[in-house]
Amino acid sequence: MEIGMLPISASKRGKLLAAGYTTLHSIATTSITHLATDIEVSESEALEILNFATRNSALERSSGSNTNVIQGGQTAWDMLNEERFSSSITTSCADLDNILGGGINCKEVTEIGGVPGIGKTQIGIQLAVNVQIPLDYGGLGGKAIYIDTEGSFMVERVLQIAEACIEDMSEYSHHFHKDNQAYGVKMHPNSILENIFYFRVCSYTEQIALVNYLDKFVTEHKDVKIIIIDSVTFHFRQDFEDMALRTRLLGEMSLKLMKLAKNFSLAVVMLNQVTTKHVEGSFQLTLALGDSWSHSCTNRIILYWNGDERHAYIDKSPSLKSASAPYSVTSRGIRNSTSSSKRIKMV
Amino acid sequence: MKREAQNLLQKVDEKSEKCTVGCPILDRNLNGGIPTKSITEVVGESGSGKTQICLQLVLSAQLPPSHGGLNGSSLYIYTEYPFPIRRLKQLSLSLLSSHPNHLLSSSDPLSRIILRGISSAENFVELLPDIELCLRYWKSRLLPIRVIVVDSIAALFRSEFGNCCFDLKRRSSLFFKISGGLKLLAERFGLVVVVTNQVVDFIEGNESVRIGNFSELCSSGRRVCPALGISWANCVNSRIFLSKDQTGIKITRFSSLLFAPHLPLSSSQFVITEKGLFGVENV
Repeated sequence: MEIGMLPISASKRGKLLAAGYTTLHSIATTSITHLATDIEVSESEALEILNFATRNSALERSSGSNTNVIQGGQTAWDMLNEERFSSSITTSCADLDNILGGGINCKEVTEIGGVPGIGKTQIGIQLAVNVQIPLDYGGLGGKAIYIDTEGSFMVERVLQIAEACIEDMSEYSHHFHKDNQAYGVKMHPNSILENIFYFRVCSYTEQIALVNYLDKFVTEHKDVKIIIIDSVTFHFRQDFEDMALRTRLLGEMSLKLMKLAKNFSLAVVMLNQVTTKHVEGSFQLTLALGDSWSHSCTNRIILYWNGDERHAYIDKSPSLKSASAPYSVTSRGIRNSTSSSKRIKMV
Repeated sequence: MKREAQNLLQKVDEKSEKCTVGCPILDRNLNGGIPTKSITEVVGESGSGKTQICLQLVLSAQLPPSHGGLNGSSLYIYTEYPFPIRRLKQLSLSLLSSHPNHLLSSSDPLSRIILRGISSAENFVELLPDIELCLRYWKSRLLPIRVIVVDSIAALFRSEFGNCCFDLKRRSSLFFKISGGLKLLAERFGLVVVVTNQVVDFIEGNESVRIGNFSELCSSGRRVCPALGISWANCVNSRIFLSKDQTGIKITRFSSLLFAPHLPLSSSQFVITEKGLFGVENV
């Protein structure tokens, strides 16, 4: 199968995955120096891993399991096994993580939409911080790309959330008596800021140019594990003389993002706005960018107010059940809702 | 002003600059004041203090950063005539008397405030390139404009748009054009942008959507909601609601934070005197 078969330690395996090596083939075709720097091991260790990988992928090839598959394809069995190693990024709200099946999934494009003030940017920032949680704490130890189209990214808020995340982690290690000396030094709020690649775009042409550039950027920064676009809608809601052009541009953009998610095994999160749609004489709330846009994401989450409580609802997903969960926005970031009586509701 | 994709990457270590609104108590709820590079909306009914706070802002902006200002000139775009020039003069005298002379670059604060009246939304869109030229000009003269006020945005849209779908769509795309244009300038020139908006009566039974920290907004004893709907709400980064309630000659005023990407909900009482607009410490 894949990385799981290699006779190496779990942490090395984790490092391989975090560096983007999800198949034996990808290891077998890289050079020793690249491998050594990517996963931070000595060259001799890298050579060892490389040899294991080449041997095993050669075995696989000779057993014929790959020759039955079209170039670039894979069997469903391989895909299932790969999925076991697919990771997800926690939202810091257990209820929300639960309905998401663990968190925001890598290799998928998730759209999150809601009214102004419901917490879209807050979730975006929380994810940009949480993706950096080290492997030893159940995170991905990755970096984030934050594309800000509206100017909602406030550094002081990111610092607040980052500090709270670090505090939570040291509390966690306290409970489990982990030796967090090394991490106490590594995880500093400023280093969390440094690991967020922040892009500010001011027009739709800049947004498209940037999405096209991301392939090159992520190739050079293989530890990026999440791309957040806040919001994907803003620059496209101005008057487009040619609506067909807009649909085409949006379609191309969403395709590129899906490819990025799949090829680099990262999560793509698109934040969207809501608008009112005139349906049968009344106005209904719906996500912006029109009907054709709803095909551009794997999962779709809608945030809404339920009385005085914020809720998230899974509107569309190939693998998750339709369910809603409460969450809250606190000074520490996204957390569980304070009213413990309201639990997850299955729809 | 097109930029290459790789140049869009920015450093994430500088905290955003803020401009004081002229009162430390109100600044406290805003964590320092109104932030730059974003659009802050001040919404409230007539007489709630929107213009007052804007006038105070364009004066306080001239203070040096050590005193919460931006050392900046301001552009004040007004839509409702006449412009309250006498009140601005009165407030400027209050500013001069409460701060030593050396803090202000000019002996007459009014010389650093540019006024421009506009009458329609399309008018405003056409004005955007001129605003950019104006910003460049003042920057080159070392008296950079750091604050743009639009008072009020609602007035631009109230009259000429009907209620049919086509008009609403046209209105909505103008919102994004204007907001996009202002945000671009705010980003490029590090501007504070404040936009004032009016309220409309809340009508029961309407499919109204809750936006922000408070499920109900009340002013003068009746339920209200910000004008221009959910589309415009998507165009601003932060929204502050000013309310007033009058019983006899006593007026109680509150400033509440409806939503902001960096602030929790908060509410504080304030008063308007001849010297300006000031928060009241909680008793």
